[in-house]
Amino acid sequence: MAKEAKSGYDIQSILAEMRDEYWQGLTEVEAAQEERLECVTFQLGEETYAFESVYAVEVIRIPKLVRLPRVQEIIVGVFNLRGGIMAAIDIRPLLGVPQAPFTAAGRIIVLKSDRFSTGLIVEGVRGVESLSVDNFEPAVKSLAGVQREFIRGQISSNAGLVMLLDIPKLMASPEIIVNR
Amino acid sequence: MASKYIDIFLREAEEHVSSLQKGLLTLEKEPDSAALIHELLRNAHTLKGSARMVGLEGISAIAHRMEDSLQALEEGSKTVDGDVIDLLLQGTDAISRMTAAMGRGEESPVDVERFIAAFDQGESTLEAVAETAQQEVEVLGDTVRARVKTLDTLVNLIGELIINKKRFEDKSGRLKQIAHEVRNAGLREFHAGLEEDVLYLDYLIQELHIQAMSLRMLPLKTITDGFQRMVRDLAKAQGKEIRLEIVGETIELDRVLLESLKPMFIHMLNNAVDHGIESPEERTVRGKPAKGTVRITARHEGNSVRVDIRDDGRGMDPERIKKAALRRGVIDQEESDLMRNDEALYLTLRPGFSTSEIVTELSGRGVGMDVVNKNIEKVKGNLIIKSDVGFFTEMTLILPLTLSVIEALMVTCGGESYAIPLSNVQEIIKIRSDDITTVGGKEVVSVRGMTVPLLSLAGLLGLSEGKYLVESGKISALVLKLRDHSLAFTVDMIEGSSEIVVKELGDQLKNVRYVFGATILGDGNPSLILDVPDVFAAAERETVGGIRRTFEESRVARQKGSILVVDDSITTRIMERSILVTHGYRVKTAVSGEDALEMVSTDSFDLVISDIEMPGINGFELTRRLRSMEEYREVPIIIVSSLSRDEDKRHAIDAGAQAYIVKGSFEQGTLLDTVETLIG
Repeated sequence: MAKEAKSGYDIQSILAEMRDEYWQGLTEVEAAQEERLECVTFQLGEETYAFESVYAVEVIRIPKLVRLPRVQEIIVGVFNLRGGIMAAIDIRPLLGVPQAPFTAAGRIIVLKSDRFSTGLIVEGVRGVESLSVDNFEPAVKSLAGVQREFIRGQISSNAGLVMLLDIPKLMASPEIIVNR
Repeated sequence: MASKYIDIFLREAEEHVSSLQKGLLTLEKEPDSAALIHELLRNAHTLKGSARMVGLEGISAIAHRMEDSLQALEEGSKTVDGDVIDLLLQGTDAISRMTAAMGRGEESPVDVERFIAAFDQGESTLEAVAETAQQEVEVLGDTVRARVKTLDTLVNLIGELIINKKRFEDKSGRLKQIAHEVRNAGLREFHAGLEEDVLYLDYLIQELHIQAMSLRMLPLKTITDGFQRMVRDLAKAQGKEIRLEIVGETIELDRVLLESLKPMFIHMLNNAVDHGIESPEERTVRGKPAKGTVRITARHEGNSVRVDIRDDGRGMDPERIKKAALRRGVIDQEESDLMRNDEALYLTLRPGFSTSEIVTELSGRGVGMDVVNKNIEKVKGNLIIKSDVGFFTEMTLILPLTLSVIEALMVTCGGESYAIPLSNVQEIIKIRSDDITTVGGKEVVSVRGMTVPLLSLAGLLGLSEGKYLVESGKISALVLKLRDHSLAFTVDMIEGSSEIVVKELGDQLKNVRYVFGATILGDGNPSLILDVPDVFAAAERETVGGIRRTFEESRVARQKGSILVVDDSITTRIMERSILVTHGYRVKTAVSGEDALEMVSTDSFDLVISDIEMPGINGFELTRRLRSMEEYREVPIIIVSSLSRDEDKRHAIDAGAQAYIVKGSFEQGTLLDTVETLIG
């Protein structure tokens, strides 16, 4: 490094400058663009669903699920996540989506709330996408009451319509908690 | 100052000292919590005031210094750091030592003047706190005990290690098989070495486990210390004379367990004093010594600790208990008539039960024993009550040493693996249909001369029934015990016992029924741990039974005869098989005519169903060959084919088939009707 300094220019500072310019450019573009939401998108039934990626901890393949005695249908079973016991939930009945068997594409998205973590079983994960809030439309009236409860609305994206799930509401819902 | 007030102060001080200790340790981690500082300030302030009220100037002075110090922290003129916390903890400890000494009627071990001088200088106060080195170690021990989280993590990690070791054992076992199959001497030698390593690992882990657990263990003494005084005071208040004897105070139990034990002990001692021991006059009349005795005895028994609390008082009268239970609607007349005397004692554990005619301040409010019962269930222990009217009452608590690792029996039930705490398993039995009788509409079996209700565990848990063991005519059942109750439960399979690590299910599943936790098996999958008290409660509520029906179905299946299905199409085989099996037939399948001929030579069938077009010999040829065999001359044969020409049908009948069903019009009804017509 001492050599470069002597030779008249400092490569590090030039690189740093370039980097700054680059980032500045990016922020400008971002500012010019509409507000975006970073979401995990996944399949349930024929539809694509999404929620803000901050609620997702990780995505795993569906492991063996051990059924719990006499609990609601939503709670499919428990599995081992690195030595801890976690429940897996199938929320399709809450959304009015038919319960086709999960295939090899099925995944569990681990969700976290301040009270507990749980595994949301989905038919397939599409990825993490940045969705435009401008194209957001609040939950349509045509949805049934229960469905409206957990769907905040829909966002149209390049790949079609995406239903935005209300994760805080889902995590606080008694539907996914075992109660005597 | 009246000693009554001192006693009250001592109890209050204990609370404040404990909040201070806990709070200060939390503050060390969250130095910015203003709410916490304020709470600590309040504790110190109250302590100071109360101590002054009862004339304990020394304690008051130390609390005062602590208050000043905390005030400075609250105002921000001092910042929270390790030194301040240390000093405040030393102050707390000094007060704790002083109150403890006072409780025992000893001299104060703290030189208050020197202590305060050192405290004000921010120096170590240890010199001012006296003498016995032994006690210093105890104070240090307290600081270790406070970092319970680290210990818990350690124990959890060892739990993981145990699970991992099991995987090694499984893999080593598989390697042994492989070495045997490939007949490779080198591999066998390698396996022998590995097996030795795994054994040694097992030993090391066990040692490590014992050591780690011992860190969490505390002697029973930690909770029984105040009992002498408590019993003395209670007795005095009622004009009774009672001696409390405690044997085995040094026996150690898991810290978590001890915490939940204390309220139980207090309840039971209250009961012994209040209901058990008679007044001196009454005792003299009965020819007993005027002074009653309550004895707590603790000792190891296998993998558990047994604690007996026995008083030589008036005992528990089953008739009186029944009457009281009836009056309070805890049981009805019929139940009362059927109830044995020893069973009646356990009525006292039911919610809403209390026999004392006069509601006293101490007990007799209808709460108490049911709380004891709940706590016992919570710690997976067992409570046994024995009594002889006029002579004694004995409550026996059987407690596990720890809650985090238990011995369990692993079983398969409804296709899922379950762990059952070994402390609840009485024995394993094999039963036949004949062993089951019906009493009052409920199925029962006889176990060593005792009549025990029999239930299907899978049925109770709402799982689908596994039936494959029934085919052998026998089914495995577990006799589980809870207190003096026994119930037999059928299960699919019993895998053997194992040491398991108990994992909690978390907030989402906190209220799940029939299980209280899970463990992780060698293959990495969870296995649920059965909550035996909950299962017993459910067994009383619900009638599931119907095990004989399962036997009956399986017997019918044997009577209904066996069928050989021959088809090269897997779909057809599976379809026909499932239709027939669901209707009680036993079915075997063959993939070709040759395959079928091989099977009939070893097995006997009551009916054969065959396709026509198959690789190798076709269905016509198979029929002809079967007809030529002595044993199959009369056995009905049904041809099921997609060929629908009359010519084919005639061909089949010529070959010796009894019926011809066209696959195109294939429906469940046709096949079944035909089979039933032929073999019933």
